[in-house]
Amino acid sequence: MEQTEQSKSRYGMVVDLDKCTGCGDCVVACAIENNVAPAEQKATERTGITWLRVYPVTNGEAFPAHDAVFVPMMCQQCGHHTPCVSVCPQNAVEVDPTTGIVGQIPQRCLGCRYCMTACPFHARYFNWWDPEWPAGTEAQLNPDVAPRMRGVAEKCNFCHGRLHAARTRAAAEGKSNIASPAYTPACAESCPAQAIVFGDLADESSDVARLSKAHDTFRFLSKLGTEPKVYYHSAKEWVRKMADQSPAV
Amino acid sequence: MFPFIYEFRWTPAHLIFLGLFFSVVVVIASTVGVALLRMLKAFRTQKVEAIQWEAEFEDLPVAARVCRHQLAGEVAQRTCHHDFDCRSCEMHPTFLAKYAPALAPAAVTEALYGFSMPLDRYYHRGHTWVKPEGNGIYTIGLDDFGAQMVGAPDRIVLPPVGTTLTANGTGWKVAKERATLRVLAPIDGVVVETGTREQGWYLKVRGSEQERDLRHLLRGSEVKPWVMRELERLQIALSPAGVGTSLADGGELMPEMWKQAPQKDWDGVWGEMFLQA
Amino acid sequence: MDQQFIPRGLQRTSFERFLVWVLPWVLMLGIGLYAIYQCLADGLYHTNMDNRFAFGLWIYLDLTVIALGAGAFFTGFLLYILRRDELKAVINSAVVLGLICYSGAVAVLMVDVGQPLRAWFTFWHPNTHSMLTEVTFCLTCYLTVLVIEYLPVILKNRKLRQIPRFLVFEFELHKVMPVFAGVGTFLSFFHQGSLGGLYGVLVGRPFAFREVLGIWPSTFYLFILSAAAAGPSFVLVTTWLVQKISRKRLVQPGVFTYLGKVSGSMLMVYVLLKAVDTLYWINHTAPLEGAAAYAFYTSQSFGSWILFTEIVLLGLVPAVVLLTKRLREIPAVLVSAAFLTCCGIMLNRFVMTIQTLALPTLPFDLLMSYFPSWQEVATFLAVVAYGVILYSLSFRYMTLFPQERDIRQ
Repeated sequence: MEQTEQSKSRYGMVVDLDKCTGCGDCVVACAIENNVAPAEQKATERTGITWLRVYPVTNGEAFPAHDAVFVPMMCQQCGHHTPCVSVCPQNAVEVDPTTGIVGQIPQRCLGCRYCMTACPFHARYFNWWDPEWPAGTEAQLNPDVAPRMRGVAEKCNFCHGRLHAARTRAAAEGKSNIASPAYTPACAESCPAQAIVFGDLADESSDVARLSKAHDTFRFLSKLGTEPKVYYHSAKEWVRKMADQSPAV
Repeated sequence: MFPFIYEFRWTPAHLIFLGLFFSVVVVIASTVGVALLRMLKAFRTQKVEAIQWEAEFEDLPVAARVCRHQLAGEVAQRTCHHDFDCRSCEMHPTFLAKYAPALAPAAVTEALYGFSMPLDRYYHRGHTWVKPEGNGIYTIGLDDFGAQMVGAPDRIVLPPVGTTLTANGTGWKVAKERATLRVLAPIDGVVVETGTREQGWYLKVRGSEQERDLRHLLRGSEVKPWVMRELERLQIALSPAGVGTSLADGGELMPEMWKQAPQKDWDGVWGEMFLQA
Repeated sequence: MDQQFIPRGLQRTSFERFLVWVLPWVLMLGIGLYAIYQCLADGLYHTNMDNRFAFGLWIYLDLTVIALGAGAFFTGFLLYILRRDELKAVINSAVVLGLICYSGAVAVLMVDVGQPLRAWFTFWHPNTHSMLTEVTFCLTCYLTVLVIEYLPVILKNRKLRQIPRFLVFEFELHKVMPVFAGVGTFLSFFHQGSLGGLYGVLVGRPFAFREVLGIWPSTFYLFILSAAAAGPSFVLVTTWLVQKISRKRLVQPGVFTYLGKVSGSMLMVYVLLKAVDTLYWINHTAPLEGAAAYAFYTSQSFGSWILFTEIVLLGLVPAVVLLTKRLREIPAVLVSAAFLTCCGIMLNRFVMTIQTLALPTLPFDLLMSYFPSWQEVATFLAVVAYGVILYSLSFRYMTLFPQERDIRQ
C-alpha cells in the first residue's frame, strides 16, 4: 500500500462516459487479450468472467428528462488501503511498486474469495468452472498471458501481458526501464469512440494526468478513501453525483 | 514463514506474528513432549501401578470413595482425597487417637448376611484380606464378600513368585465369561508363595513389618459398617437406573443375586465393587 | 454386545437402538459427502455463490460453529485457569463440542476454497496483515490443541484404559492440561477476534467496516465477547438436550445455573458494547464512508427489525434473564434464555456475512439475492450429522459427564 504512494509511476485511466456508446468492444477485446475462456453454458452474469464490465445506468427520470450512460467498470486499481491487498492471506494480490498496478497472482491464489468480498467495485471474478476453449480456439490464445485455472480469483491488471511485452522490447533495446506509457491496454485500444485514455498519472505532462484533473472528472466511491486510479469523466451533473451516492436498497 | 522463503519480510508485523506462532507451536509440542517423557519415566521407575491407581481412584464414584471414618460413624461426611492411603492423611491420626479399632486376638468372626468375615485379619477396600503370619510374611485372600461375588471363575492369573506388588496395584486377575477383573493388591510386598481358590488364599508376600504400612487397612469394628455399605453399593450396582431397592432382609444374599441376574453386566458390577473405574 | 466398551456404572441403550439412532445421521452425512465430492471434483459452480455473493452459507456456518464452539476454550479457561471446579462436570462435553465445531468448520472451509491443496501457501508466505492469515494459523493450532484435549477423554475409555501406557499418558497429559487451556484461550482470543476483524476491515463495505481500536477494528473485540457469551450457553443447551434425548440426569442443576450466569455476564458486556459500537457506526463511521446508515435498513429483507432483534430480543433480553437469579433458577427459563443467546450470536454472524454481502456497494447496484444450492445445504447438514455422530459415539463410549455416575447412585 505504502509502496504505491512512493512509486515513480502510477498507471491509470480516464474513461469519458460521455463518449462511451456501450458497444462492448472493450469487453470483447479484454477477454481475447487476457485469455478469458468462453463462458460456460450455465454461466450467468454473476458467475461469468468479464474483467471489464459495462453497466448501463439511468437517471431514473421519465421522458423527456430520462437519460442514461454506460459505465465500463474494471479493477479501479485502488492506490490507498487497497481493499483486496491487505485481506489476501497468502500474498496473492500485490501492488507493483514501479507501476502502482494491483496485480493478481492466480498461481498463488487459494480461492478463498475474501478479496472479492472486500472489493466494493465487484471487479474481481472467480473461476467457478474449469476454463475450456472449444477445439480449435486454443489457437487464438494470447501467448503472453497465462490462462487461469479453476478455483482462483482473477481481475483486470491493465493488460499485464502488454506491459511485459513492452518491458521485453525495452530490454532488447538496452533500456533498463520503459518510458511510460509504452503500451496501451486492449480496452483503450479497441474503443471505437476513444473513450478510454491510459497512461501514467504521475507524469504531469501525460494526457491521462491532465484529464484526471480536468473539470467534471470524478471517481466512483471516492468517499471510501481507496484512491482509485481509474477516473471517469462526464459533463452530466447527475452522473457525477451518482458516483458517490449510497446505493438505493 | 522463514527468512529464506520468498515473501518473508523483516517487518515488525512479520516478526511479532511469526514469533507468536512459533512460540505457540513450541509450547504445544514441548508440553506433549513433557507428558510423553513423564510417561516413559513412570515406566522406568515402576510408578505405573501407583499412577494407575491414582487415575482410577479419581474416576471412582463418590460413593466408592467414602472415608472409613465416615463408615465407622466417626465423622458425618467425608470423601477420601488420599487414594485410600491413610499414611498421607492429615486427619487419620486424629481419628486414631479417639477410636482405635484393632484385630481381634482369637478367631472372632463377624457374620453378616451370610458373609463370614473373621476379625483376626485386615481388610482392604478392594475386598481382599491380609493376615500377618509373622516375620513380615502376610497371607492374602479374597474376603467372603468378594469370593461370593466372583463365584467360580473360569481362570485365575496369579503373579509368579518374586513379583513385587504395589498396594492398590494389580494383585491378581480373574476372568469369567467375557468379564475380567483386576483384584487390587492390599499391601506392598514381594510374592513368596501362591495358593489357590480351594486353599482359601491366593498369595503369601513378604512385606514391611511396620505398622504404618498396614495403616490403610480396615480392621475390627470397622469391618461391619463397611460390609453394610458394600451391600448397599452392590444393590445399586445391580438395580436398574434410578430405582434404589431397599436393603435385603437377610438370608444368603449373594449367590441369590448372582443367579437372579445372570444377564447382568458382571464386568460392570465387579468393577464397581472391586474399585475399578 | 458392546457393553464392554461402555463406561462402568453408566446405563446406555442397546447397541441395536443406538444403530437405529445413528443411521439417519450417517445417511445425512453420506449425502453431504456426495455433495462435497461434486464440489471438489467439478468445481464450485455446484454452489449458488457467485462473483457478487462470494461468501455464502458455508462461511456463515464457519463463523457460527466457531462462535458456538467457543464453549471449549471458555470452559477450559474457567476450569483450569480460574479453577472453577464445578465445570469439571461439563468440560469433557465442551471439549467434544469444540472439536466437532472446529473440525467441521475447517472441513467446510477446505471445500469452500477453490484450491484446497494450496492451503499450506498461507503458512509458507503469510500476509501478516490479513485477518484470514490470523484465522488460518490460530485455527490449525487450536484444532491441534482440541485434539490433544480430546485425547484423555478417549484414553479413559473402559477398554483403552486397561492398556497401562494409555492410562499413564492420559494421567500425565491431564497434569499439563492447564497449559493447553492457556494456549487454547490465547489462540481463541485471536481467531475469534480475527473472524470479527474479517468484516471490520472491509473498507469497501460500509455496512461492515468499523474503525480501528488499537490495531484491530471494533468487531474484533465484539466477536471475542460474543463467542465467550455463546460458548457456555451452547454447552448448557446441548447438555440439556442430551439429558432430554438420553432421558438421564447428567449434571447437577448448579452447573446449569453457573453456565447461565457466566454466559449472561459476558452477553451483557457484549450487548452494551455492541450498542455503543452500533451508535458510533451509525453516526460516525458509516457517514464518513459516504453511506447513510439508515439506508442499510430500508430493504424489505433486512429492515431495522433485524438490528432490534439482534441487540434487544436476542441480546439484552436473555442477558437480563440470565443475570436475574430468580429467573435463572427456573430450568425452562434458563434453557430458553441460553437458547436465545445462541440464536442472537447466530443472527449476528448471519448479519455480518449475508447482509454485508447482500447490500450493494456500487451506486447503481441493487440488493443482491442468494439462496444456497442443495450441495451447500447438504454440506452444511453433513457437518451437523458429523457432529451428532461423533458426539453420540463419545457419549456412549466415553465419560462425557463425570457426575452422571454419582447422580445415578
